[in-house]
Amino acid sequence: MSQPVLDIRRLRVSYAGNRALDLDALSVAAGEVVGVVGANGAGKSTLVNAVAGWSRGTPSVEAQISLDGRRLDAWPTHQRVRAGLVLVPEGRVAFGRMSVDDNLCTAFTPAAQGADEGRHIYSRDEVYALFPRLHERRHHLGHQLSGGERQMLGIGRALMMGPRLLMLDEPSIGLAPQMVEQVLGTLKLLARKGLAILLVEQNVRAAIEVVDRLVLIERGRKVLEGAASEMGNDPRIAEAYLGASTT
Amino acid sequence: MARSNMQMAGYALLAVLAFLAPQLLGGSGVVYSAAVLIAIFAVASYGLDVIVSDLGEVSLAHTVFFAAGAYTTALMASRGGVGSSWLTLLGAIAVALVLAGVIGLVTLRLREFVFSLVTYAVAVVGMTLAANWSFLGGSDGLRGIPTLDLSLPGLTLVAGNDRALWPYAFALLLAVIYLVARFRRSALGAAAVMSHLNPRLATMSGIDPARVRLQVFLLSAPISAAGGWLYAYQRAFVSADVLENYFLILMLTAVVLVGRRQLLGPVVAVALVLTQEKFFSLGGDIDKIILGAVLVAVLAFLPAGLASLARPLARLRTARAAANATSPLNTLEHTK
Amino acid sequence: MTILQQIINGLVLGHAYALVAIGWTLLLGVARLVNFGHGQMYMLGAFVTWWAVVKAGVPYALALPMAMAVGALVGVFMQRVMLKATFEQNLVSIMIMTLGFGYVLHGVASIVFGSTGQILETALSRRDIELGELWLTWQDAAIVVAAVVVFVGLRWLLDGSRIGRLVRMVAEDPKLAMLTGVNVRRVYYGVFAFEGAAVAFAAGMVAPRTPILTSMGFEEVIMTFVVVVLGGIGSVTGSYVAGVALGLFTALFSALVSPAYTTAAVFLVLIAVLVLRPGGLSARVAAGAH
Repeated sequence: MSQPVLDIRRLRVSYAGNRALDLDALSVAAGEVVGVVGANGAGKSTLVNAVAGWSRGTPSVEAQISLDGRRLDAWPTHQRVRAGLVLVPEGRVAFGRMSVDDNLCTAFTPAAQGADEGRHIYSRDEVYALFPRLHERRHHLGHQLSGGERQMLGIGRALMMGPRLLMLDEPSIGLAPQMVEQVLGTLKLLARKGLAILLVEQNVRAAIEVVDRLVLIERGRKVLEGAASEMGNDPRIAEAYLGASTT
Repeated sequence: MARSNMQMAGYALLAVLAFLAPQLLGGSGVVYSAAVLIAIFAVASYGLDVIVSDLGEVSLAHTVFFAAGAYTTALMASRGGVGSSWLTLLGAIAVALVLAGVIGLVTLRLREFVFSLVTYAVAVVGMTLAANWSFLGGSDGLRGIPTLDLSLPGLTLVAGNDRALWPYAFALLLAVIYLVARFRRSALGAAAVMSHLNPRLATMSGIDPARVRLQVFLLSAPISAAGGWLYAYQRAFVSADVLENYFLILMLTAVVLVGRRQLLGPVVAVALVLTQEKFFSLGGDIDKIILGAVLVAVLAFLPAGLASLARPLARLRTARAAANATSPLNTLEHTK
Repeated sequence: MTILQQIINGLVLGHAYALVAIGWTLLLGVARLVNFGHGQMYMLGAFVTWWAVVKAGVPYALALPMAMAVGALVGVFMQRVMLKATFEQNLVSIMIMTLGFGYVLHGVASIVFGSTGQILETALSRRDIELGELWLTWQDAAIVVAAVVVFVGLRWLLDGSRIGRLVRMVAEDPKLAMLTGVNVRRVYYGVFAFEGAAVAFAAGMVAPRTPILTSMGFEEVIMTFVVVVLGGIGSVTGSYVAGVALGLFTALFSALVSPAYTTAAVFLVLIAVLVLRPGGLSARVAAGAH
């Protein structure tokens, strides 16, 4: 069995002494889409932020994180990003005062970082081909874009960094249903090309269509994990998130 | 409660010892002079302490309040012929309040660092005025300040030299420390800390951070001015060099060296700095480098001040005490 | 002196102010750092240039890069010491630390360079350009040219180059920039080095105009502060315009009213602006480099 792209062991995150997340193990294989679901405040964002070594706050993080077998939990955020561990965060994903063109650029040259097989580095043109709306608005500033367009911008830039593992935190927030379908469909496409994806979503219904495996986080702990096809019928998920009436 | 009575007794003992300290350390003129200056600069520093430690903002204008106190006293006492030092003290406080009011109102809705820069500019302009304006004595300064005279009807309270000045300096220091302690326990003090640590919560609790800043500023200015008031009498001479950067750096070090919001922090810090300068000096410029370096080093490497060094020791003591207090019964329960 | 002469003086002075302020503008706009040691770093730049030219016999054209190198090193050293506070955005600590640094620089300069005033003369400052009744020194002209070159160059760098893009990212949202693979720490070092080099360069260029003292620097901070606030925090173009305007105001006030109280007058103008328009004269108030 080939080694997973992302391997997390013993992840513990605390904010000001309060334990926010306690995860024993989680892994994502190449071409796999793993969905992380759970209620607000369950610890989903904390999870992906900690993997990226990033946060808008000041958490204390202990973890063993490996990318393609290489331990990088001691690395600062920008180094992890350059190694192919890319996060599209929740909230602000684009630079409002910079144009779309400027937003779609990397701080480094992924090819120069010794990107090996499995890291498809998107060029700006490829991103525009993927999201034609962005091309139309290429000279507009970030803050002039709609929420969905900014989300596309964030994903587009992430792809330009040649990710080995792509993590997305609630990419569907504020998006119209068609947009959500388009974004998630694009992710499925990328996964088929070999990209490993860790997707945090509140919109479980939409996520379930796209993910291979589902992980349910509740109050900072993993309570359920399994194939999406099986989990979809799990009463715990159905009860909590898909609404009281399920057919 | 027993503990607070113990604390009060402890403080009282400390106060008595501090008062007797110059005598116990030889009683020479040099020692008394150092003691008086420590008291004066500590008083000035407490004004800044309230702004930096409680309000969490940097005011660089407190040297101006200190100078205002000194200049008002000089003008009233030497040019104005006002004999009673009570009146000059009132004058110093009044002028400081007016200045602080103007600065405070102007900077009411400005961001913190703009506030700091404005106070910096006030200090620089103050320097220019003090050095050039003939009313303030220009570059020669104001001389001929009479001795401190706090006499009341029937009671002569005069101080002609540092030894005689010491009880009054000590009394002023005690009064200021008491004032700061009361402030910290007051509603305004609590409001200041809240608007510093959590402005959003403060606004939701009905506190207007801008108004709180103004009020604390108005409280702090006369404190520093009182230091200036006494300085004028101690030196018998006031000139523009009372606005030198040295005083600002000294006051800032006094506020951060021991730790934020430590009641006795400023006076201990000033004592340390002045002791080094007066008795272990390495030359004016090197002393300057040492002082500046200490200020930077404390903030960079020991942000909670020297007091934070004492905390691990205290923790060790309590841990040992707890270990000794563990009874066999308790250990049995834990191994279940 | 005619008004026209004063206007020429003012333009030269204005370009000098803009040049002195540019490092501070970038530091504040990109890293949100207030450097109260700016005045002493200016003083150091002036004295290193003076020492190199007058005491060490180095040609002026070489003395300037020397001063810039010293300035950049001081900047990097300061940032290294203040790194934790920078990342925590602990502005109170940063402001006080930069004040402390300034004080230390003053002490060091007093020991190394002495406390007497010195005059830095260069080949350019000794020769005048005469335009009829008006005159200015070649040094003055050089100041104007240097300021324009630096400002245009910086704008071009910020808008058009890759490094400029990174700097703008960090200026707007340092955390998000980290996720784009930017080494934010290195950018902060770079910006502080730029501040050190820029203020030293400005000092080396402007110092020949007046005698220099190791106790100087305070008024430079005020002027810089006023330029930055009037021009809009982080705005490169704004700083240029505000600098020139301030220079004209200072020259005219000094000639027509009183030279000693010029700083006080500038201060009053600043207060008036702050009271009437708390965001400064620039419509956009948000931090960021632009």
